Amino acid sequence: MKRLRTLIRKEVMDVLRDKKTLIIMVVVPLLLYPTIMIGMTLIMSMVAQSQEEKIHTVAYEGSGADTEVVTALEALYTEHSEDLVCELTFEQMKKSDDAQADAWFAASAEEGKNIKVEISYTSTNQDSNYAESALTELLTYYKEDLLKEKLAGQGLDETFLTPVLVESVDSASESESVGMNIGGSIGMMLIVTVLMGAFYPAVDVTTGEKERGTLETLLTLPVSNFQMIMSKYIAVALFACVTAVLSLLALGGSVVFLMVGASTELAAELQGIDISKLLSLVPVLLLAMISVALLITAICMCFCVFAKSMKEANNYSTPVMLIVMFASMMGMIPSAQLDYRTALIPIANISLLIKQIASQQFSFPLAAITITVNSAYSVMIIWILAKMYDSEDILFHDGFKNFQIFKKRSEFMKGTVPGIGDLIMSVVVLLLLVLYVGTAVTVRAPFAGVVVQQLMILGVPLFVTWYMKSDCKTLFSLKKPGKGSVMAGICFYVGTFCLEMLLTGYLVKLFPASTENMNKSYEILMAQPTILIVLVMALMPAVGEEIFFRGLMYGGLREKCGVKWAILISAVIFGAFHVSLVKLIPTAMLGACFAYIVYKSGSIYIGMVLHFLNNAFLLLQMKEPDTFGKILPVLMKEEFALTDMLGFLLVGIVAMVIGIILLKKTGNK
Amino acid sequence: MIIASDLCKEFEKSYKEGKKTKKEKFLAVNHVSLTAKEGEIVGILGPNGAGKTTLLRMLGSLMTPTEGRVTLMDTEGNEIADDTKKKEAIGYLSGNTKLYPRFSIREYLTFLGEVYEYPKQEIAERIERIIEVLDMSSFADSRIEKLSTGQTQRASIARCLMADPMLYILDEPTLGLDILSADAIIRFMKEQKEKGKTVLYSTHYLEEAQVLCDRIYMICGGRIVAQGTPAQLMEQTGTSNLREAFHAIYDESEREDNNETA
Repeated sequence: MKRLRTLIRKEVMDVLRDKKTLIIMVVVPLLLYPTIMIGMTLIMSMVAQSQEEKIHTVAYEGSGADTEVVTALEALYTEHSEDLVCELTFEQMKKSDDAQADAWFAASAEEGKNIKVEISYTSTNQDSNYAESALTELLTYYKEDLLKEKLAGQGLDETFLTPVLVESVDSASESESVGMNIGGSIGMMLIVTVLMGAFYPAVDVTTGEKERGTLETLLTLPVSNFQMIMSKYIAVALFACVTAVLSLLALGGSVVFLMVGASTELAAELQGIDISKLLSLVPVLLLAMISVALLITAICMCFCVFAKSMKEANNYSTPVMLIVMFASMMGMIPSAQLDYRTALIPIANISLLIKQIASQQFSFPLAAITITVNSAYSVMIIWILAKMYDSEDILFHDGFKNFQIFKKRSEFMKGTVPGIGDLIMSVVVLLLLVLYVGTAVTVRAPFAGVVVQQLMILGVPLFVTWYMKSDCKTLFSLKKPGKGSVMAGICFYVGTFCLEMLLTGYLVKLFPASTENMNKSYEILMAQPTILIVLVMALMPAVGEEIFFRGLMYGGLREKCGVKWAILISAVIFGAFHVSLVKLIPTAMLGACFAYIVYKSGSIYIGMVLHFLNNAFLLLQMKEPDTFGKILPVLMKEEFALTDMLGFLLVGIVAMVIGIILLKKTGNK
Repeated sequence: MIIASDLCKEFEKSYKEGKKTKKEKFLAVNHVSLTAKEGEIVGILGPNGAGKTTLLRMLGSLMTPTEGRVTLMDTEGNEIADDTKKKEAIGYLSGNTKLYPRFSIREYLTFLGEVYEYPKQEIAERIERIIEVLDMSSFADSRIEKLSTGQTQRASIARCLMADPMLYILDEPTLGLDILSADAIIRFMKEQKEKGKTVLYSTHYLEEAQVLCDRIYMICGGRIVAQGTPAQLMEQTGTSNLREAFHAIYDESEREDNNETA
């Protein structure tokens, strides 16, 4: 621990002595917000002021009804000139001279009909725009006066025209709606600033250290790889947090300055913000920013550690920036809200949370989930990185031998087995695809979302094996199974299924809310025709998920860390991929069962068929509960009786044991 | 004492054949066994690309051997197995072990003292002693990036001294230094030997090795082609100095290699 502290201090000191970092970390956030907010509003107010003071010319030809209307408008102008956006003067001129005027006015009137007014202006010209606005305002007064006159002539009063008065009352205070409007973009700005604050130190402590030749020196010291990566991460995270805090301060300062000082539209809008309410939420905002700083640092570290040179690391800044910006733009989508689903999407959830905080629609549990999710992701990423970091590879070879996927395709030899890093990359890419692309499609069309997700699950392993020229037959265990193995597999699966039912029954009782949510999401999908449901939710997963989890994951891990770990890890990832608290353990159990069958039989096909049957069975149970209830009444019960449970336990264990024995007998050694 | 038994290190090298990139594995260090005892300066000699640096990196626990084993014994003859403990016992210096340019020597040595977990008082005392011994007081507080080559090399020696290791592994420590700085390094090695420490070092300066080394291992193509005291090597080859002996041994090994490939 003491050693880690020393290392962190060294990293911090080393980065602090680099002036470039200090500028990016301190000066940029401190200048960015004042420049953007104050600068922009000052420019806007200057433009507005100069327009207010300038006299804009409205020209008219003086034929037809022009003169009459203009005389009336001039009279109105003296009365209302204070309320108009700019000063106006009316000039009679020839149509050919209209270039000298800011706007052109023409009016015609026919006996018994309304007066037709035409305003010609140039929308791309600021002066012309202002003249048009002021003129339209004046015409409104004119119209009202005429109307009053006419109504009075008929002996009517104004209520004649407005038999119904509509008034909408917004329950959100002014402060809340202002926050909603600007909260989304502020979230993105804050997150991007944190990225800028984290990226440069991350490059400096990783590839920078390698390039300066001090990494080898560091490795001669009694320091483990884990300590080294952790110290670097913590140092960079500190910088990112400082940037986050400074950004918040600069932002707060700019808002206060504008509220007190400037007098523009934005400032007027900002006046609506209830500062005291916002101040009470600052601690939450701070925690949120720190959690996103931790995550962004972890992401930056992953990219920088792989880079062979600082130049390469800097090249990575563009994709990292794009990923982070894409995720943080979520807050700018008006309909996007923080809920129990979006709170699980890293970075995007912070941007939504900031929007929520700004509009004071704050929910504590959602904020807690958001902050925890980001922190947990960052811990997970950095832990894996630190465990995988192989200093020898980084220092003396091309980089991570575990991450071969970054090589050119032509450099791969036939039959390459994906390394641990490649597998992690596949999981991460798939997770990102499912989270972002999958969610985007699901929101619009839930059923199409499932199809897209399944296609991605199948696509990723196929792409990886094609790119790395892996031997699919061996990696995916594409082999015809023996008859004995099929029977043994079925027996083992039936056992697992019984235990799974027992466990699910227990978990459903434990987490009723989560189950309800899950069932609701299924209800929408169940509206589709049965054949389509079976095709998309049973057949596609049976092929895609088996290829990904039992093919790529289990097959790759088996080569690198042995069968036991391969079964365990692939099963846990399989469980985790079903993003549900209730389904996690039962699904992992099923995953382990299929992986074990692949191990013993040497074939992925048994698992595929069983996976299909398993899904089809559960889907039909949901789709046709009545028919199902007649055949297997026990499965339709809301709650299992003790005898049912014992039955499941007994059948489960017996079938599993028989299955294992048979698999051992019939399987390949 | 350090014992290397049957060390091998396999690397992959890629080459172009037409449009295709092909890869080939080769042994940079090929079944090397050596020993270096307390109070001994052992020289590793060989042409560029012979595998000296790879060998020293494996001995210094910076690289894992593909085959074979490195055993490090403490003064009582017990094996030090833990990797971190091993690094504590070894002072490793090469052209690639640069110092933090943005630190001063004093700051850097303080950092090292803290990594080695010495008490504060001891760190300060050690630093003062090292600065005095290596005559660095005039530049001990300047940033390392501002120092000359000789001053930087002395700072690197200071780095090794800070840990007071039992074994020094020095990869071409006098390379590119002026006579004064090179002499300071040679003096340093002799002093360490007198203190009973083990010094393993590689060099291209054969005159220097002839007077300094107790024993020499000559490496060619990753293999040890000759070993012994400088006198023994000269006797074996019938030459009067180490430079001539080196040439004789090198030519002989080249001939053998050619015969093998033929």
